[in-house]
Amino acid sequence: MHQNEIPPGTLYLLILKALARSGELHGYEIATWIEQVSDEVLQVEEGSLYPALQRMLVKGWVTAKWGVTAGNRRARYYHLTPLGRKQLEVEVSQFERVVAAITRAIQTA
Amino acid sequence: MNWFRGLGRRIWMLFRRKDFDADLDEEMRLHRELREQEEIERGLPAEEARYAAKRRFGNDLALREESRDMWGWGWLDNSIQDVRYGLRMLARNPGVTGVMIATLAIAIGATTAIFSVVYGVLLRSLPYPRPDRLVSISEVAADGHLMGFTDPNFADLRAANHTLDGMALAKSWPTTVSGAAGPARLGVAPVSADFFRVMEVAPILGRGFSRDEMQEGGTPAALVSYGYWRQHLGSSTDLSSFKLKAEDHTFSVVGVLPPGFSYPAHTELWVPAELFGAQSPSRTSHNWSAAVARLRGGVSLTQARSDLSVLAHRLHQQYKPEIDMTDASVTPLRAALTASIRPALLILLAAVGFLLLVGCANVANLLLARAVERERELAVRAALGAGRGRLVRQFLAESLLLSLAGGGLGVLLALGGVDGLLALAPPNLPRLEEVSVNLAVLGFALGIAVLVAVSLATATALRATAVDPQAGLGEGSRGASGSLASNRLARILAGGQMAVTLVLLAGAGLLGRSLLRVLSVDPGFRTSNILTMEIEVPASQPSSSIAAAIEAIKDTKPANFMSSLFDRLRALPGVEEVGGVSDVPLAEEGDCPDGKFLLLDRQPELDLTKPEDSARLDRLWSTAPGGEADYCVASEGYFKALAIPLLHGRLFDERDTANASHAAVISQSLARNTWPNQDPLGHTIEFGNMDGDMRLLTVVGVVGDVHDRSLEKPPDPIVYVDYRQRLRGERDFTVVVRGDVPPQVMLASARRIIHDLAPDVAPRFQTFQDVFSASLSTRRFNLTLVGSFAVSALLLAAVGIYGVMAYWVGRRTREFGIRMALGALPRNVLKHVLGHSLRTMAVGMLVGLGGAFVLTRTMESLLFGVAASDPLTFAGVALTLGAVAMLATYIPAHRATKVDPLVALRYE
Repeated sequence: MHQNEIPPGTLYLLILKALARSGELHGYEIATWIEQVSDEVLQVEEGSLYPALQRMLVKGWVTAKWGVTAGNRRARYYHLTPLGRKQLEVEVSQFERVVAAITRAIQTA
Repeated sequence: MNWFRGLGRRIWMLFRRKDFDADLDEEMRLHRELREQEEIERGLPAEEARYAAKRRFGNDLALREESRDMWGWGWLDNSIQDVRYGLRMLARNPGVTGVMIATLAIAIGATTAIFSVVYGVLLRSLPYPRPDRLVSISEVAADGHLMGFTDPNFADLRAANHTLDGMALAKSWPTTVSGAAGPARLGVAPVSADFFRVMEVAPILGRGFSRDEMQEGGTPAALVSYGYWRQHLGSSTDLSSFKLKAEDHTFSVVGVLPPGFSYPAHTELWVPAELFGAQSPSRTSHNWSAAVARLRGGVSLTQARSDLSVLAHRLHQQYKPEIDMTDASVTPLRAALTASIRPALLILLAAVGFLLLVGCANVANLLLARAVERERELAVRAALGAGRGRLVRQFLAESLLLSLAGGGLGVLLALGGVDGLLALAPPNLPRLEEVSVNLAVLGFALGIAVLVAVSLATATALRATAVDPQAGLGEGSRGASGSLASNRLARILAGGQMAVTLVLLAGAGLLGRSLLRVLSVDPGFRTSNILTMEIEVPASQPSSSIAAAIEAIKDTKPANFMSSLFDRLRALPGVEEVGGVSDVPLAEEGDCPDGKFLLLDRQPELDLTKPEDSARLDRLWSTAPGGEADYCVASEGYFKALAIPLLHGRLFDERDTANASHAAVISQSLARNTWPNQDPLGHTIEFGNMDGDMRLLTVVGVVGDVHDRSLEKPPDPIVYVDYRQRLRGERDFTVVVRGDVPPQVMLASARRIIHDLAPDVAPRFQTFQDVFSASLSTRRFNLTLVGSFAVSALLLAAVGIYGVMAYWVGRRTREFGIRMALGALPRNVLKHVLGHSLRTMAVGMLVGLGGAFVLTRTMESLLFGVAASDPLTFAGVALTLGAVAMLATYIPAHRATKVDPLVALRYE
């Protein structure tokens, strides 16, 4: 199946969404969640999750704490802060505005 | 708020850097391993699964760096990198790096040292409350020079002005103060009633003067300085027990002034002026050396000036011709205290600023020479995407390292330099005690260092990164044409430095030769192994009235005291000769007074109590022949101790008792000029205006001339009189002791003897050698100052020439390769390089010689025994400079001869 790079600027949106849906995830889980919910259409360059997560930590959108995976491995789990939840709404409405605009542009014959 | 929290997180992160890296690493490893496992579960072989996981993850080094950057510390990482890289570059060529650091150290050190003097003397505010409102006021004479105040003028100005809030008078002189822990010579200042109110200074212990103490005939009271209280009163909080004797009064100590208060300069004891008698009604007796006032609130300096000026003019009109004040001046106190030294300091600051500029230009040249060697590397980095900003930052890191190292060393140099300056400075310079290398000075040095770094980096980077990467990388691209203009600039700079250096060297050379000439003058006396001891001669009673002064002429106590002191000292082991004189030659404190004497051969004695004799003396003053001479009271031991030769007749001896005819010994030049071709012995002179004793003096001997005022001035004619006949009490007298042991050994015994004979007398000891060398202190100070500038400039010029030539040779490596490939011998190449440099230097030296010829004329008054255009000095310094310059050229020139043609050609 052909895989698409995610559109620029939407990585934060996807991470925020993933955390909002599932509560607490570590990096690998976020990556697989994005693949699964998009039917593997969207694929992130997996490593780029991590700089993005660090930036979100700086911004205060997420917090992180160390926990243990089902396979009994140490992993860093991220979850949303109230600020992150607000940011998700902002990102979603921004994305929708952009998509609507692009759709209009394409449909204009 | 948010921003704050963000900052907090960032700082937290900065300190947990290690944890951060470890966490991120673990997190990423887990991710890759989980992915790898999943691929294996999908059926991939282990090896391939690992590659797949890696591929999908991306470049983990870059990602890690990117993650760190998210925290906003990217610039820090880059800076650390820049600094590391800079250190490596600097370490790669330690010689050049050392030269650059040394250059900056000299330049920054000299600037810092001079700045610390300028700051302490000119800029720092006075240590008194609201110092900017304090002004110094003086009378102005018709010819414009400033005079101290007279009592009536001061009173009138104080009563009539509308701009000053209180005016006060003070004066200060050194005198012997006893009664505390041993007698001491201190500055004592009588001050007018308002003095402390105007200065806004209150005692930190005890009280100020009471109303009773501030009137004529009041109880003598004194305030002491903090330093005197600490040193002499043992910091005791109970002042009631201290009684200090000075100037015929016994003072109770009533208070201690705060530390740092010392106005007028060098004062330790303040006493009410009213103790010293009534005010003088004269408008020409300028009794007060200092007058201070405070500007009234809201009044500007200009307003106060015009106010006082108008009043002074009015007084002048009203009282002329019994008044010599024509105007009044109002100056901020700080400016008034430092007026004498301000222009010299500003010139020094300018000179040292120039030195700094030259030093920076030189280091810039060296950096550029090195940047040329790195042209290819820079081009590679630019081609790989390093922005110009990044390259500039790289240079900035390097020059910051250089200038901070230079600045640090420079501050150390300045510390030593300031100590040296202060130790050498003539004592009459104002506010020197305020000079120190303090925080403000260190801040200045740091500021200079950073400024230097930024300008160096900008200059180098702009010129070095102007290279087009394509051209820089292209084959055989070393066209020097682009930098011809900048190279010419560098050569002009190097030539200019040669010129300036030559001027400074010529100045220093002339001063140095002068000092040698001065030192080779035969002073007419010996200086080694002689201890001098200055004391105030005790008298039977204080001579506060005119009647008592006439009585004092007959007082035998001073001479008797001195005789017994001489006897006691002579009995000490190791002592060879003991004598005394009113002032030893070359003493800082002054020399024997000079005046007019009369030749009165075969005249009967004058008795001034008889009116007819008085009238006769007045007639003689206008008719009798006479001459000018110094008047020194001395003992025969003085001539023996200092080995001043007796040429004719005899010295003083026991025959010269108080009632015998008064004897005079005269100096050789006086004998020759007054009695040419005659025997001066037996002639009589009258020199009574010196001490009020009208008895005639009979010449009994002739001694050799001495340079008494200065080695640089011809000897003055001197009349010596016998201490047995002419010594007065309450005058300063200097005892000289010569022994076959070092003077320091005799000091303790001499102090004990003085203490036994007269416990109230404060002796001031010096070795005669110190007196002698102190008389040269101004000359030595000038020489040191100009000399250090000259040496610094010489070093900088050497560095400058080296930098320019190294750059020039570096640019032409290929040219030399071709020359040598075509058969040029190393000798030819060497000649070529040296010749090139010589042209620059010759022009610079010619300009410098011309400049020195003109400028050294301005220092003619500072020279001794050499002409301002002394050809020997000029040739000497030109040769020195030429030799140093050739040496600086030789290093790069020699490198040019070592170019291997094959390597040079292939290298391109």
